[in-house]
Amino acid sequence: MTESFDGFSPRWADFPDYILGITQEIWEGRGIGTLHNYYAKDVVMRFPNALVTGNAAVMSGTMATLVEFPDRQLLGEDVIWSGDADTGYLSSHRIITTGTHTGHGVFGAPTGRTFSISVIADCAARENTIFDEWLIRDYGGLVKQLGFDQKDFARQSIEDEGGADACVRPFTPDQDIDGGYNGRGNDNACGARYADLLSRIMDLDFNVIGEEHDRAVLAEYPGATTVRGTGGVEEFWMGLRSSFPDARFEIHHQIGREDPMMSPRAALRWSLTGKHTGWGVFGKPTGAPVHVMGLSHAEFGPWGLRRETALYDEISIWKQILMHTG
Amino acid sequence: MTVFGGKWQDLPDYILGVTKEIWEDRRIHALNDYYAPDIIVRSPASVVVGNGGVIAATMATLAEFPDRALLGEDVIWCTDGGDGFLSSHRLISTATHTAPGVYGPASGRRLRYRILADCHVRDGVIDDEWLVRDQSAIVRQMGTDAATFARDLIAKEGGPEACVRPLTPQNDVAGPYAGQGNDNEWGRRYASVLTRIMSADMAAVSDSYDRAVISHYPGGDTGHGHAPVDHFWMSLRASFPDAVFRAEHVMGRDDPHMPPRAAIRWSLSGSHSGWGTFGPPTGAEVYVMGISQAEFGSLGAAAPRIRLEHTLTDETAIWKQIHLHTGSHND
Repeated sequence: MTESFDGFSPRWADFPDYILGITQEIWEGRGIGTLHNYYAKDVVMRFPNALVTGNAAVMSGTMATLVEFPDRQLLGEDVIWSGDADTGYLSSHRIITTGTHTGHGVFGAPTGRTFSISVIADCAARENTIFDEWLIRDYGGLVKQLGFDQKDFARQSIEDEGGADACVRPFTPDQDIDGGYNGRGNDNACGARYADLLSRIMDLDFNVIGEEHDRAVLAEYPGATTVRGTGGVEEFWMGLRSSFPDARFEIHHQIGREDPMMSPRAALRWSLTGKHTGWGVFGKPTGAPVHVMGLSHAEFGPWGLRRETALYDEISIWKQILMHTG
Repeated sequence: MTVFGGKWQDLPDYILGVTKEIWEDRRIHALNDYYAPDIIVRSPASVVVGNGGVIAATMATLAEFPDRALLGEDVIWCTDGGDGFLSSHRLISTATHTAPGVYGPASGRRLRYRILADCHVRDGVIDDEWLVRDQSAIVRQMGTDAATFARDLIAKEGGPEACVRPLTPQNDVAGPYAGQGNDNEWGRRYASVLTRIMSADMAAVSDSYDRAVISHYPGGDTGHGHAPVDHFWMSLRASFPDAVFRAEHVMGRDDPHMPPRAAIRWSLSGSHSGWGTFGPPTGAEVYVMGISQAEFGSLGAAAPRIRLEHTLTDETAIWKQIHLHTGSHND
């Protein structure tokens, strides 16, 4: 692996080491200033709730988060990666982040509550620097664990940001900027298997869950929801698809990996773009135009898909719905 | 490859298949084929000899929890040196309390708890078993706690003299399987980690577990990172600081599509002489049977560490031993 790890400092043994290492250095190590080096000046970051450009914004966002949650920890569970020095390396980094709400910030006065949620960050890096990024935090899980109602919280943030016309717009494809990474992943069979599986689910072929998943599958979903068994998997994907039955499903990036000492695993970046025209997890259909940005990881074992983490940001969906309905 | 006359592809297929057949597919009478008549089933709560009671107990459970499902998460196994096998089977069980039974009137509560079962299998028949159910997860989800449940159980079973005795070396019964596992490197590594921890060398946690380790402990507790691992093992050891720790059975495996993994059955035997998970020290003689499974891995150049751990003890059986010593079951 190291021979293809071009352009990075010899300090890092390999690309996962770089990703895990700089994350710890920035957050737990408080090296926020290292973002000057580790993030490109004109980095493009797509969060479900906003498009952000430039590392200055990244640094102020990092500080604001650390003020609100000073003990925030980021535990890097996996780095599923692809690419090379030419296209850029792409890391799909799955993190469990924990912390205590002891400071003031977006969530108001400190509640003293603790949280533990999943994050997946797809980062494109070249020569020690991250220049393009797609990141989903389980914001709905955070809101829930801090004791707020998701829909109320979304409504309140629209209001706080000056109403439906003035508020920060959740990320939609029309706002996108080319940040320089245009890879599509790799052609590993495990990535193709997961892509096929999600595509079939999105084509309403839900029986694929019984065929392709381990019956003891363990899955992590938005809202800090853990499910065990195929029933919960079906409930999650159907609840989402049913809300946006006519939306266009696209897979933007697909990685599969077979590494020593790891199960075969896959990482996908996907989206649903369309209208809120069905009953599902977002209640009564409103016809709101919605873009769902999704990132997911899967591990395959001898009896099928045995672990999955699929994330989208529920708050940004509610925000798009409420911006439409007023 | 097939085992046991061709019906099953391999040992995991047999273990997963038999479990589903008996419980979800309702072929309870198949226990007559799959369990030896004189099987010994050791759980922390009791030692049961013979297949006779197993069918009745299975039906009693299914009457109380008709939708009970058993999802087999993993099977870590080895051969017994002859033509048999030892399987360490990890399951998640889900069930709804929709009918009256040993847990009282139907409560409608949804249960989700883990089981680790070590079974010896020969000729398609299970003849020796060690099983730890996460009993404290069950009782918590039923709205009580392990200490209270154990106290009530002593009374329900007729008081301290008449009640069912938890497993101890004194009431254990030797069965057909006396193996100690295999000599795979991952089993040995995991045994050495647990032995270090039990020797109060708690730095073993940061040395040997991944920073982002996911841990599953009794009571249905799930943790992320080093702190919950440290907390669980420290609190257990602190309750029984002078007890003798033994890794009784140690297995490791390298299988295709799976990370390297290990399964260990262990015991802690001694007196409740310290502050920890079980409150003020009582001096009660306690025997703890535990089963642990671990997955190792590395994302690249880093040294392999434990990324996932499951450890179960039965806290209600530990409390029962403590109550029987203190007499606090009368409170």
